[in-house]
Amino acid sequence: MLNKIGDVINPENQNRIGLAFVSMVLGLLLTLQFRATLVQKESLPFQRIEELSARLIDTEKERDNLRAALREVTERQEMESRAANVADLEMTAGLVGLTGPGLVITIDDSKKTAKTGENMNLYVIHDEDILRVVNELRAAGAEAISLNGQRLTANSEIRCAGPTMSVNNVRSAAPFEIIAIGDSGTLENALKMRGGVVDTLKVWGIQMAISPRTSVQVPPFNGPSPFRHAKPVPKEELTKAKGAGKTAGGNAQ
Amino acid sequence: MIISIVGLSVGILLGMICPLDIPVAYSRLFSVALIAALDSVFGGIRADMDGKFDNTIFLSGFVVNALLAAVLVYLGDQLGMDLYMVALIAFGLRVFQNLAIIRRYMLDKKTN
Repeated sequence: MLNKIGDVINPENQNRIGLAFVSMVLGLLLTLQFRATLVQKESLPFQRIEELSARLIDTEKERDNLRAALREVTERQEMESRAANVADLEMTAGLVGLTGPGLVITIDDSKKTAKTGENMNLYVIHDEDILRVVNELRAAGAEAISLNGQRLTANSEIRCAGPTMSVNNVRSAAPFEIIAIGDSGTLENALKMRGGVVDTLKVWGIQMAISPRTSVQVPPFNGPSPFRHAKPVPKEELTKAKGAGKTAGGNAQ
Repeated sequence: MIISIVGLSVGILLGMICPLDIPVAYSRLFSVALIAALDSVFGGIRADMDGKFDNTIFLSGFVVNALLAAVLVYLGDQLGMDLYMVALIAFGLRVFQNLAIIRRYMLDKKTN
């Protein structure tokens, strides 16, 4: 076998089969490279492509990182603003005790005795009197008010119940102590205004002591949720039915 | 000399026929392999003219050189350095050296 091949191929050349093989590889590579270069010349230079793709990958990575950071920040911000919102709402709804500068007002029945033939009721404190005081305080910017330890909420009633006063369905008798948080000077002036509440009540001898304090405390409302009938209306429906109907909070006392 | 030219022609023909395409990512590797093959061919021709051509030395030289060049390319890619340039320059220099020696041999032949 070997001899036969040796006969066919020149013995001098038989040695150089490797040379032929490597030459062949060289030719193959040359053509392949030539073709590849032709293709590349048609498009952007290869190095440019590589550079651009590397930059693209970098930018995409950066974009993903930034997107994640943005999501984190927005989430945190949302949570913070929601917490702030909730705190605000809780204060407005009277679910938390509040403290701050304000007034302590003590009101007691008149010590004058009714003249014969005169209505005795005029010398006793009524719900209307208390309501006028509270209304005046609110008008003067009181932020939180309590009556005999009962926080006045949006649903609180002030109503005579026999000889006692019912607030948040809790009854108490005179003397009544009203605590209001707000600018104590403004609140006091609002009450003592000429022809105001204090003036009117004084006529009947009703005792009223107003003492401004740098720090008063108003307790939280701790009754059950007042909503048994009312249900919230979705915002979209509300804008559709604007002015069509009132959404009255049920006075579920 | 003639046998290498024949091999080259066969290779070029094969390259034309074969539908292989070099992926862009391996373009560097192929260019280094090409110059390694070029170096080997010129080295072989020169050794042939010296009259001390050895098939084993020739083939092993080709394979080892090509492998080292490939390693340099890979390493350069990993390190972010153009290490394949080293292989290109080394092979290129040797090609020129060998070519010079071959030229002298051929001139000698002519004058004789």
